[in-house]
Amino acid sequence: MSADHGASPGTEPEGGEAMDAAARLKMIDEQQKRARTGLEPDARLLYLVWGAAWLVGYLAMWFTSKDGSSPTIWAGWTLAVAIIAAITFTMVHSIRRTAGTRGTSARVGAMYGWGWMLGFLTMWAILTGLVNAGADGEVVAVAANGTACLIVGLMYLACGMVFQDNGVYALGVWMLLTAAVATLVGLPGTNLVMALLGGGGFLAMGVVTSVVDARRRGNRDD
Amino acid sequence: MTETDLDAVIHAPARLRIVATLATLGPGDELGFPKLRALLDMTAGNLSTHLRKLEDAGYVEVTKTHEGRTPATYLKLTDRGRTAFRDYRTALAGLLKGTGA
Repeated sequence: MSADHGASPGTEPEGGEAMDAAARLKMIDEQQKRARTGLEPDARLLYLVWGAAWLVGYLAMWFTSKDGSSPTIWAGWTLAVAIIAAITFTMVHSIRRTAGTRGTSARVGAMYGWGWMLGFLTMWAILTGLVNAGADGEVVAVAANGTACLIVGLMYLACGMVFQDNGVYALGVWMLLTAAVATLVGLPGTNLVMALLGGGGFLAMGVVTSVVDARRRGNRDD
Repeated sequence: MTETDLDAVIHAPARLRIVATLATLGPGDELGFPKLRALLDMTAGNLSTHLRKLEDAGYVEVTKTHEGRTPATYLKLTDRGRTAFRDYRTALAGLLKGTGA
């Protein structure tokens, strides 16, 4: 039975068997950890990137508009560049990690990714409609932030449902709350709410995910 | 139980690592050959040889297809392979505790 592997475990003393079993279990755990790292996007990294993007972008908007004036052009560009950078990072990172897989998870992941894209395309259409209907800059700004945050919240609710992840579902609820508060507060407070509750929510989620992951790893090593 | 009772097909370290890697995927998921190779750091020839043994044992399902004009090979654990891996792992844990020795 042991013809095709080098060691002949049947002749080992019992202590050796126990060692060997331990080493094999360790090998399995290490290989599976490596496989997961190579196959699944790192959620902590994505939360960090999005938290930083919202915090920096919306703080720039708030600082240049807190006296009631319109945000400066550079603040608008800072927010735009931060969001585009975060989108690009998310896509490149997720596609790289999940490349080379196919089947149920790949299909669910693609549908989830397209959900974000479709949501924001629809948001663009809604905002264009509001502008066409004569909405001024302030109405568009409040609607844009509220709608964007609503989409983020609902997508995280969906993610939590599909992947049975309570933490992500909680983040979705938090983002819906952020959408509601940011819209009700109105400008210029909207930008501060988006920075602190929205960006801060992502960063807090990143920290929580890191702690939970580390604890789970610790338990596996026992 | 002693080590000689362990499943010989996945007792070889290379095959154990292959099966452990494929077991991280969901039952409906497949992994492409180049990605599996990268996750294992094995040569293509070596990996192919071990995959054939796993396929012969009914533990791994090999699907050959085309992506555009490029041939592609996808691998997944069969239900039997998944069960064998779980049993093997349980047996190792048993040996470690000394309950089966």
